[in-house]
Formats: sequence, structure tokens, C-alpha cells
Amino acid sequence: MHAAQVGAVADGAPSVFTGGANLVAVIVLLLEFGMFRQALLRDQVRLYAAQSSAVCALTVIVAAARHLPELYLLAALSAALKVIAVPVVLRRVLRGTQNEIAGSGALSLASTVLLAIAVAAFGFFAVGRLGIQGPALPKTALGVAIAVVLVAFVLMIVRRDVVSQSVGFFSLENGVSLAALVVAAQMPLILAVAFLFDLLVAVVVFGVLIRFHHGRAESLSTAELTSLRG
Amino acid sequence: MIVGGMASAASTPSTASTAAATAILFLLVAPLIIGLVALRLPIGTCQALTTATGALSFAAAITLVPAAAERDVTVGHYVRADAISVVFLLATGFLYLTVAAYSIGYLRQDARTPEFTRYARRFYAGLNLFAWAMLAAPLMSSLALLWIAIEVTTVISALLVAIEDTDGAVEAAWKYVLIASAGLGIALLATVFTYAAGARVLGPSYDLAITPLLRAGAHVPHTATRLTFVLAVLGYGTKAGLFPVHTWLPDAHSEAPTPVSALLSGSLLAVSFYAILRYYQVGTAVLGPRFPQAVLLVFGVSSLLLAALYLLDQGDLKRLLAYSSVEHIGIMTIGVSFGAPVALAGVLLHVLAHAAAKGNAFMGAGVLVRKYGSKQVSAIRGGLDLLPWSGPLLLMAVLALAAMPPFGIFRSEFEIVAGGFASSRNAAAAVLVILVTVAFLGLSAAANRMLLTRAPATLPRGEPSTWMVIPVVAGIVALVVLGVDPPGHLVALLSRGAAELGGLA
Amino acid sequence: MSAALPIPAIQVLQVLTVACASPGVSGSIAKVEARLQGRRGPRIRQPYFDLAKLCRKEALAPEGASWFFLAAPLVAVTCYLTVPLLIPVLTSYPLPLGYMGDILGGGFILSLASFVVAVAALETGSPYAQMGSSRAKTFGAITEPVVLFVVFTVALVTGTDLPYALAATVRSSASQIIRPAHLLAAAALFMVILSETGRIPVETHTGTNEFGMIEEARLFEHSGPYFALLKLGSAMKQLILFIILGNVFIAPWGLAATTRPADVALAIVALLAKAAGIGIVVAVIDNSFAKLRLFKITEFAAGAFLLAVLGVFTLYLGGG
Repeated sequence: MHAAQVGAVADGAPSVFTGGANLVAVIVLLLEFGMFRQALLRDQVRLYAAQSSAVCALTVIVAAARHLPELYLLAALSAALKVIAVPVVLRRVLRGTQNEIAGSGALSLASTVLLAIAVAAFGFFAVGRLGIQGPALPKTALGVAIAVVLVAFVLMIVRRDVVSQSVGFFSLENGVSLAALVVAAQMPLILAVAFLFDLLVAVVVFGVLIRFHHGRAESLSTAELTSLRG
Repeated sequence: MIVGGMASAASTPSTASTAAATAILFLLVAPLIIGLVALRLPIGTCQALTTATGALSFAAAITLVPAAAERDVTVGHYVRADAISVVFLLATGFLYLTVAAYSIGYLRQDARTPEFTRYARRFYAGLNLFAWAMLAAPLMSSLALLWIAIEVTTVISALLVAIEDTDGAVEAAWKYVLIASAGLGIALLATVFTYAAGARVLGPSYDLAITPLLRAGAHVPHTATRLTFVLAVLGYGTKAGLFPVHTWLPDAHSEAPTPVSALLSGSLLAVSFYAILRYYQVGTAVLGPRFPQAVLLVFGVSSLLLAALYLLDQGDLKRLLAYSSVEHIGIMTIGVSFGAPVALAGVLLHVLAHAAAKGNAFMGAGVLVRKYGSKQVSAIRGGLDLLPWSGPLLLMAVLALAAMPPFGIFRSEFEIVAGGFASSRNAAAAVLVILVTVAFLGLSAAANRMLLTRAPATLPRGEPSTWMVIPVVAGIVALVVLGVDPPGHLVALLSRGAAELGGLA
Repeated sequence: MSAALPIPAIQVLQVLTVACASPGVSGSIAKVEARLQGRRGPRIRQPYFDLAKLCRKEALAPEGASWFFLAAPLVAVTCYLTVPLLIPVLTSYPLPLGYMGDILGGGFILSLASFVVAVAALETGSPYAQMGSSRAKTFGAITEPVVLFVVFTVALVTGTDLPYALAATVRSSASQIIRPAHLLAAAALFMVILSETGRIPVETHTGTNEFGMIEEARLFEHSGPYFALLKLGSAMKQLILFIILGNVFIAPWGLAATTRPADVALAIVALLAKAAGIGIVVAVIDNSFAKLRLFKITEFAAGAFLLAVLGVFTLYLGGG
């Protein structure tokens, strides 16, 4: 039944639900690209909060359209964590610091965007070729989710400061959540717990380590972290 | 339909003997409690309790051996121990015990200031929680819970790596947590796809338990499983130290306190490797052995190659041992890719022997580092002269790591190579032997320079602490036992584990 | 009601509407902009007066410039008068000459116009005009692929690349509007329009700072009626781009479905309203952002490129 619905998408226009869901997914990806563009760490955190709320919004849309009430709870909890808690923690880290501008990355901005587009394209088409379809959302959203994950990797790699890198990791988690919404919307409680746990733990560890790092290096940059090699 | 029947059959627990169930419960509870109360206890009590819990945990793992050699032991719905799990429990339990004893000597050297007390309490809290998470991971029946347990190990070990709060430690911890978390993000993706694949056959309430998935076998969608397997190897491989996602490993191993390094190398890598084994089981059940074996062969050979080359010219003692861990994970991965039962039994034996040998090597290296005040190979001279016990013991550990008889690794590598020839992977087996030899060259050259040279006259002869020698002796004994005459129950356990891995049990 | 208008008349009316309304659209944008800045601003009709004044003036050409210098404005305006034949300006049904060219054809004609203007600027030997044309071509080379990707999107959505067909597809259902490919393409096109019409954040439209100029600088050496033609040309280009955005992508409603004069008249009113609406948005953007540094303009173009590429990606996977 669902398969037929999704299959109809290939030709002609998708349904309003599919289109809307895809649109939110694409917005998530665009915000991921926005984090590339954004040099101010504070705004980068803001973009992350926006991205998280887009993911939560999509969760609510799926919950409403597919009648999965437990997803409302998941959306509420992840909103509390991702839209409020994580940004608050990151902002607190930023409060005590002088340099709020992300160190220019390893590559120039235009090259990173092109690189990210290439990587995103790879994710898109790799997943598209696999033809994995989920019960709740169209497969375009899955491609977008994988693209988000890959672009987050690029972000973590090219940026040279702890805040951008952790924002990269958190947005990677957003991509994974998006993928989970597509292929596993009816996920059992145990998997939902894994997601929330991931976040909770990540917040704590990243928070503690950023503190450690800032306490020692007096900066958020990771450019000096080069003593261990070989 | 068929599926529902399978799910209900899986959920009926086999009648576990009370002893086995008690042992499992002890493993799941005791280290957690000790870890939580350690922050409030005096140091001496901490040390005693930790060592006692380590000993009891190892004993609990041993009591599970006969039961698991015959059937799966399940407690409730989410806890399950089969032969593979128990192998990893044994490795972690043994290291938990030896490291706990070693830490008594390791921490005694530091001054008794309030700061030291705080540090030591944190250290013991972390050590116990770390061991707890690693003991819990193999006991989880669901892939989601397995993922959570491994995530917990990341968190705690990252904080343990950073605990010394030096520049190097913070850098290593940051790299570790960033890379490992990203890897676990991939592993989470693999978990999600596994659910998606499993739910097609087992219904939307499928809770990611392993057994029903293995029974559903070829009914599970193939494409999704293929994707899952690759993602899982990449994701968990990040923590297991597979090339090309091993980059955090040498840093974390060299900067962490020595007891933590030993646990990281002997146990944490093994537990992550355990997760890969589980996905290998699923992959083999669904896709047949060809695809999973090919993937593992590529990862294994490249890890082994990289590690062997880095071992040839490595100036830092602890990094040397870290790359040796990458080497051994590579060997195990190649062993699994051979797929022959004898190779799989060899892999499981290798897990045990490597835990003992690498634990020993790190603990011995810790003594050297303390004695000479440097981690550089070039600064350490005449270890055999200055350290009457630790010197020879380290030499033995290095020989064990290099797969010399009569130690356990010789037996396990022999089985792996024999399995390779048995399943006519002659080229891969030959490559394995060559690369292991290269690694041996690097490792023995470094050991030569550190141990068999003339000692500097400035340093006195003598051991820093007896507590830092006893666990190493225990490790050597274990290695010799594994190499010369493994106990009958253990052999039964390993062959059952190999059968489970090969999809025959 | 009264008899139907003959089809050729409507066709001519499309061109006339664009030609006559375009200075008014520029005037209203300038007015809104002034209001946003707290000034009273010029009259909306001011551009017409400017054109009339310029037509009365003497036409001069720099020494050494060839005939091409004076021919360029005529060619450019001819191009701008041709494009309204191809796109849905007033009617939702395709007019006969609408099949003369597709979106790419329209794009080529617009590029031809900008090419002759650029060549004419090179003829003059004036440094500012040359700098303007070289910059315009440089950034044009970056926005061109964006336009191509937008066209690809359109082609993938409709199966043709006729603007009428896309407008009809968008009108057909709500699901067509919300599909990401369509919105992404529209957003990319809007960014291209900002850059092509010389608006913030690419270029200050009204400034007198020659160093920041791109489009405007090309016209420096022209004078008299020729200058008036170029001014009219810029205004028409702007209105044409607005029409493509409005009538093809965002809001293809309010077009005449019949040939009755009342419907056509209503379509003209709707068109002007839409153009004014887009103009207001542009004016607001003009007032809310700062001009980008010259070297950052590539980033702006890269953003538009990203949107367009994502649009094509989502379509390729189906369901975009």
C-alpha cells in the first residue's frame, strides 16, 4: 500500500504529504550547508537549533500523517534536548571565550561547498540506487538524510575549532535521526532510547571536553592539537 | 505467520541454571555499584573493592564457560550469553582483574595530596564503570542495546583518557571522542537499517534481537543488509581500530594512564570487534558468507599492512603497542574472513590471548615508562638489567605478541592461517604471514633496543612496585596455558563459538 | 460580452505591456526603497520623465567607437522586445509565437542582449565601462549554470522546457507547488534575478560608487536616445525576469484564460500587481542587507548553485 504510494512518485507530482516531507528534509540539508557558510560560532549554534527543530517538525508531521502517537513523545523529548539543551550548553561554552569566529577551514569556502555538493550527490545517488524504501516517508528523504550525514562529516573535517566540530557531530546525529524517520518510523522504544541516549551522552562528553580544552589552550581552536603524530 | 512463530520461540528463555544467571547478574550489577560509590570511598577501600570485583567478575565469566559451551544462557528478555559473548566476557574479566591489581602499584607512586585523592577516586570510578560497560556489551541480546553499551564505553573511556589533564591527554581525548562518536553515529545508522530490514520480516515491533534475525535468514531484505554490514564494519571498526578509521587509536593509547591503555587495547577493541562479529553473523545468515568475508578481508588486510609499516619505525613505546593492537585486530578480521571453523575458533582464542598479551605488554611498558621517565624507545636502555622481573616479563609479552610458541597467540594465529589454507585462501594467508613477520621485526627491534642494551649507570636496579609485577606474571601464566594446553571446557566453548559464527549452531 | 480579441493583438499586447510597464515597475521599486529609508522619494512616473528627457538630448559616441557602439542599444532592446513573445505574460494558453523558443531560447536572447551591451562597452575604451562589462561577464559565467540547472528542473518536472507548460503544471495542483524541486528552483532563480538586475547583495543599484558597479557601469559612455533605449532595456529585462519568476514559478494565477478583453485587462492588472509585489520584496532585501564584497559574490552564486543542484537531485530520486 505504502509502496504503491511511494512508487507513484517517480512519475508526475508527489502527494502533498510527500512533497512537504521532502521539503522539510531538504531544509534540513540546506541548514547543514548554512553551517558551512556561517563563520560566527554563535550563529552556527543557532543554525543547529533551527535544523533540529526542522527534524522535530518532520517527526510531528510523520506522527500525524501515519498515526504513530509515540513519535510525538520522541519529538518533544528530542526538541527539548536538541533545540534547547544542546544550544544552551554550546552557548555557555562560547560565553567565556574571546574568539567567536571559526578558524578558516583547511579549504576555501567555495571549494568546501563544491566538495560538500559532490559528497551530498554521492550520498543521494548511492542511496537512490539501493532502492531502500521506508514505510513512512519517501525515499528522497532518505537520500537527503544520508547527504546530511556526509556533509556533516565534511564540516567536522574542514573546521578547525571545537565548537564547529561538535556542531558537526550533533548535526550528523540529526541526519541519522532523519534517516531513522524514513526507514524506521515505527521504531521500537529501545531504538528511540538509543537516540536520546546518544544525544545526552554527547552533550555531557563534548561539554566536559570542551571545558578541558578551553581550560588548557585558552582557545577553541584545534589548530594547536598537532603534537600527536605518527 | 512464520515470522510470529519465530519471534515467540525466540522470546521463551531457555532454562538457565541459577549459577549462570547469578553470574550474569553479578557482572551486570557489581562493577556498576562499585563505580558509582567509588567517588565517596577512601582510596584503600576503592582499591580493595575494585580488585575483589575484578576477581569475582573473572570468576563469574569462568562459571559461565561450561553452560555457554552447550547452550545459550538467557536472563529475561534482553540479556543473553552465548559462546561468543562468554569469550569476550573472559577477556574483559581477566583484564579487569589484572588491571585492578596493577593500578594499586601504579597509583601508589603518586603523592598523597587532596588533588591526588580526587584524581584516584575519579580514576577508580571510571575504571569500574568502563569495565562494567564492556562486560555488559556482550551480554545484550539486542543490537540496539549493544550499541548503547558501546556508546557508554566511549563516553567513559574518553573521560578516562582525558583524566590526566595534560595537553597531550586532552588532545587525544578530543580526537578520540570526535572520531569514535562519528563512527558510532555510522553504527547507529547501521542499527536503524537493521531494524528496517528486520521489521520487513518480523513486524514493526521487532526489537533488534539477534536470534530471530538469524533465524529469519534469507527472508530479510538483502540490499539493506548489505548496506548495514558495511556501515557496521565502518562504524564499529572505528572503535575497533580498523584502517582507515583507526587514527584516534595510537593517540588515545599513548596518552591514557597505563591501566586504561591496557583496558582500551585488550578489551575495548575486542568489544567493538564483538559488535562486528554480531553483524557478521547477521550478514552471513542473510547474504551467505561471500560478501561479508570479502568486506572483512579488505579491512583486515589494509589494517594489518598499515600497522606493520608503522611498527617498523615507531619511536614511542606506547604508540608502538597501540599499532600492534591495530595489527592484531587486522589479524582477527582476516581470520573471520577465512570463514573456516578452525580459523573462527582461532579468532576467538586470539581475542583471549591478545587480551592477556597486550595487557601484559602495556603493564610492562608502564613500569619502564615509570622507571625511565620517558615513553621514547630511544630513552629506555638496559631494561633487562635494571628491572629483574618486569624486563623479562615484557620481553616475554613481546615474544607472545609476535606469536612465538609456547604462548597462546602462536596457537591462535596458527589456527587462523591453517583455516585460511583450509578454505583455500592461500594468497590471503600468505599475505597474513608475511605482514605478521614484518610486524614482528618492528616490535622485536624496539624490544631489543630497550631491553637488551647496556643500562645507564645513573639509574638504580629494582622494581617500582610488586603490585605492578604480579598481574603480569598472571598474564604470562594465562598465555602459556592458552598456548600449551587450553582447558577442555574452554576448547568446547571456542568450538561452539566458531560454530555460532559460522552459522552452524 | 464583447467579442474576443484577435490572438495577434494579444500577442502584441504582451510586448507592449512589458515595454510600457517596465519603467513604472522600476519607479515603484525606487519609491518603496525611498519610503523604507524614510525619504519621500521620486515619483513613480519619474523613469518615464527621465526617458523622455534623454530622448530630447544629443547622441554622442566616443572617438574611435565603431558603428557597433550605436547599434548595440537597438539590438538589445529588440532582444528584450522579443522575449515577451515566448513567455506567459498575459495568457495562460500559449500564443502562436510562444512556440518559437523554449526557456533556453529566451535565456539565449537575454544573454545576447547583455553580450552586445558588453561589447559596446568595450568599444568605448573607458575603464569603468570595461570593468563593468568584464565583471558582468565573469559573474554571468557563474550564474549561467544556475539558470541551466533551473531549466533542467523545469524540464524534469514538466517533460518539456516550455514556460507555458511549467506554469500549467504548477497551476494543476497544490502538490506541485510544495514539491522541493520546484521551490528550490524558484529560490535559485530569485537569487539569479537579484544578481542579474544588479540588486543588493550583489551590487548597489542606486549608488554612485563606480568601483562597486557591475551592470550600471557598462552604460557610462552612452548618451541621448541610445542611453534611453538602454535604460528602457534594463527596466524591461527586470520586468521580464519578474514575469518569469511570478507567472511561471511562484504564482501563475490571474492570467487570462480566454481572449475576452475584460479578462485580458484583468490579466494586465494582475501582472502589474505581481511585479509590484516582487519589487517590494526586492526593495526590502535591498534595504536589509549590505552589499557583499566583490570576491564574496561567488559565494552568493555558489548558494544559488547549491539550491538549483539540490533541486535536480531531489527530482532524480523521484518525489522531489
